Amino acid sequence: MKRGKKKKSLVFPGRMYWFMIPALAFFITFWIIPVFQLFYYSMTNFNGINYNYDFVGMKNYLTLFKEGTLINATKNTLIYTVIMVAASNILGLALAMALNVKIRGKAFFRTVSFIPALFSAIVVGFIWSYVYMPNGGMISSILELFGVQEGTFNVLGNYKTALYAIALVEVWKGFGTTMLIYLAGLQTVDESLIEAGRIDGCSEWQLIRKIKLPLISATITINVILSIISGLKAFDYSFIMTNGGPGKSTNTLMFTIYKIAFNDQMMGKASALSVVAFIVIILITVCMLIFMNKREVEL
Amino acid sequence: MKKRKAYKEKEATAKLTPGIILLYIILILFSLLIISPLLIVLSSALREPGNMESPLLLFRQFSLESFKSAFTQMNYPAQLMNSILITVLSVVIIILLATMAAYPITRIKRKASRFFYFFFIAGLVIPSQMVIVPIAQMFRNLSIPNTRFTPMIMFVTCSLPFSVFLFSGFMKGVPEEIEESAYLDGCGLIKRFFLVVFPLLKPATVSVAITQGMWIWNDYFFPMVFVSKSSQYTLPMGMIQFLGDKENPAQWNTLFAACVLCAIPLIVVFAVMQKQFINGIAAGAVKG
Amino acid sequence: MKRKRLAAVLLTGMLSMGLLAGCGTESTDKGGDEGESSGKKTITMMFQGVTAENDFETTVLPGLIEEQFPDVTVEITKLPDEQYYTALKTKLASGECPDIIKVQPRHAGANAVVSLAEAGYLEPLTDLEFIQEEPDSAKEDMTYDGEVYAASTGLSILGTWYNKDMFEENNLEIPTNWDEFLNCCKVLKDAGIQPIVMGDKDMFVTQFGLYQIAANQLYPENPDYDEQLASGDASFTDEGTWDTILDMYNTLYEEGYVDESSLGLGQQQAQQKFIDGEAAMTFDGSFSHAAVCADGSAEFERGFFPLPANDEGEDTYACIAGASGIAVYSGSENKDICKEILQSWFGGESDIYSGWADNDKPIISWGPASENIDPLFQLFADMYNEGKSYYFCNQGWPSGTENEMEAKFSELIGGQGTTVKDITESMQLKYEDLSGN
Repeated sequence: MKRGKKKKSLVFPGRMYWFMIPALAFFITFWIIPVFQLFYYSMTNFNGINYNYDFVGMKNYLTLFKEGTLINATKNTLIYTVIMVAASNILGLALAMALNVKIRGKAFFRTVSFIPALFSAIVVGFIWSYVYMPNGGMISSILELFGVQEGTFNVLGNYKTALYAIALVEVWKGFGTTMLIYLAGLQTVDESLIEAGRIDGCSEWQLIRKIKLPLISATITINVILSIISGLKAFDYSFIMTNGGPGKSTNTLMFTIYKIAFNDQMMGKASALSVVAFIVIILITVCMLIFMNKREVEL
Repeated sequence: MKKRKAYKEKEATAKLTPGIILLYIILILFSLLIISPLLIVLSSALREPGNMESPLLLFRQFSLESFKSAFTQMNYPAQLMNSILITVLSVVIIILLATMAAYPITRIKRKASRFFYFFFIAGLVIPSQMVIVPIAQMFRNLSIPNTRFTPMIMFVTCSLPFSVFLFSGFMKGVPEEIEESAYLDGCGLIKRFFLVVFPLLKPATVSVAITQGMWIWNDYFFPMVFVSKSSQYTLPMGMIQFLGDKENPAQWNTLFAACVLCAIPLIVVFAVMQKQFINGIAAGAVKG
Repeated sequence: MKRKRLAAVLLTGMLSMGLLAGCGTESTDKGGDEGESSGKKTITMMFQGVTAENDFETTVLPGLIEEQFPDVTVEITKLPDEQYYTALKTKLASGECPDIIKVQPRHAGANAVVSLAEAGYLEPLTDLEFIQEEPDSAKEDMTYDGEVYAASTGLSILGTWYNKDMFEENNLEIPTNWDEFLNCCKVLKDAGIQPIVMGDKDMFVTQFGLYQIAANQLYPENPDYDEQLASGDASFTDEGTWDTILDMYNTLYEEGYVDESSLGLGQQQAQQKFIDGEAAMTFDGSFSHAAVCADGSAEFERGFFPLPANDEGEDTYACIAGASGIAVYSGSENKDICKEILQSWFGGESDIYSGWADNDKPIISWGPASENIDPLFQLFADMYNEGKSYYFCNQGWPSGTENEMEAKFSELIGGQGTTVKDITESMQLKYEDLSGN
């Protein structure tokens, strides 16, 4: 497959590459060139509207580093990603395992878990702003029934909890999709292997650990990678629900970039942060891919 | 296929052991937890706009007033049409472009193919908010005007990485022998692609249509940036009008009604094509 | 073989060209049947804000303009602030900016008149008749480099909305200096009433209180403070300037006069608490008139006074600034019609003007509409005419400085260990960063 095909294939000639032209045209014009433009802007003091800008070298990068924006945003993004990846994968996998047992009403539970994924992020943001509202919101009203004073439950207003609270929203919206993928993965597991394990006297936990998990390792990889990518791109809920607050505690990388570009009008600095974010995302994704692939082989 | 059947039969024979009952209880509680915010939304949307009593008192009033007001304020039929038109057209173009791009990538075994594969996939990690200003400048350089169709360009572009990735994964599973025999029968490249290969990609096509269709339907960012007239807005853009601000605070009941109106078409499609949705999402990830 | 290759090339080429161009051509046709085919010009406008019921800009204005200018079709969109900034900036970048847009006075916001004019996106309106009739203060708000770039839509006031009934029940009068104000809060708190409610989750509300304090503590002594900031002769860290202001405002939180859960409340929720009679006061603006005067679960009379952050024996100053402006995009193909529309809108005699005055109820101290000003704001309009007011601080700063102030201040009240000194230092750092020095 990899070697020995050096001679030109008659069935698949090189002119097949022409098929790629339309997609490439779109991709290069509206994606790659703008991205390179961004690299250039990151070394200027362009404000996004005025084209009389100067070249400032690495100043933007240095400022980002000096004032702590970079560290803060990266830290928030990483926490957000870790929570999201862990929660949605554990939840999704557990639920998929539960639903993989032969029970009635499986379709119902599957549908319920997936419904949140159908809603637009903006709708989800509205709904959860209401759920988290400290006065008369859903959670606080329920707590009130148990005698908790109104206004005490205030996750979005608290520095320590706001980031976790919005990560939870992302989990709510996303775990259903993760679960579906796991479910599909589990259904490819050969029943006879499990039976064999059972006959050998494996406990239920051993069955999961030694047979099921290794067999769906490819599914785990894809799920983890997909959630990492969407976690690192976190933007919507900081934008809709907290506006980065309280303070800067929910400023994720993407939201900070957006804020610097559109509120502070510093396109140059925002571009610099984009470049850094881009590198961070690629590094993490590649590292994870390598790590997961290794695990896959080991398992 | 055989395995599936065996599996189904077993499903029917599940016994109600204590373990299973416990599982049911956990699942039901969990479902309630997941669905509760949505119940509140629905119940509030069914109230009159001014009804401010505690939203926890579910379904005590049934009125379509909030829906009516959201419906007219959004100009719902027009925005619905825009949403459908944009989503369907974008998805069709994406499928066409992505399958065509994936074809040489998987079939020609050269370094260049691998390069293009990763070239497209790298796009997966770049979020669009990041590059929006240079993109807008590109639109000016090409003098592309703002119309209801303009956001489609970006929908297509942003969907390419994932779609190419998925189609490539799928196409690897299509045996080359089929094409070899088609070649021997004197079938040309284009004919071979559209008549032989493309039909075999149906599962991937469904998967792309569903995953990409879902985000395009729900996206408000590109319509906001590239549409100028409110008569050309899509549904999520119409939703934004219900966001309160300092001068006009949000009317939660109307807002929730608007949320329901915005989500309903997708829910209907999901209800009708549940199987395709579930298989599409799963197949995409597993085979990709 | 050759023919097939050619066909393939042609097909893909045509496809890609067709797709690229398709969006363009298809839509120009569309634009055609909507406007030009009937000989009408389409004027596009983009405003900032949320459409209310019977909203003037989206529901009334187009009809009035089309009536007066029969060969014009008006196409209006209105977006909430954040979305408006993004849409405006990207539309400027894509060369598809609407003909008429909303701008903010001086340096305020991401659509500040100064930064847009500096970049050459706005058409000078100095020569229009109605601009000449505006008072100097209104013109100055919209001036860059000697030219006026936008039509002022009146005044915008920051003040303290209060529950008159609660004040009467506790025998309180409108305070006239800071000590009296603190005493008011104390009396209310002792009576078991939450004195002030703020929606600090929407961080911009911190400006409402702080700017009123600045109008009393900072500008009366040094009206040129912001110019000195720009030239480097003053700094946020100077003693007796912003440290005093932040200290005073923080007192309200330390004493518990502002709701403890304020960081979890949005502005709207705070307004709701105020109209439900759960708090006696809230710092807000004239722009929130409708929201704070809406019906809540409590019935009471509302009042609006300037926060008396002055020391005893000194005059109180109000915090009043020009409201947003209406500007014309310099790249528009219909600049002349747009100018005519503005002249007729703000000229004082047309149906558009009276429709605007009746529906939008601008707070304006000049022109015919100034006679019908809401009594709630009369006191402020008088103060403005007497020169007893200063503009909103952020209008004098590069846009973004206030965000740093807001974020840092909410860290302070959120118990993050931030001190007043940290705030002024970060404000100064941000200011220097933003002004590019």
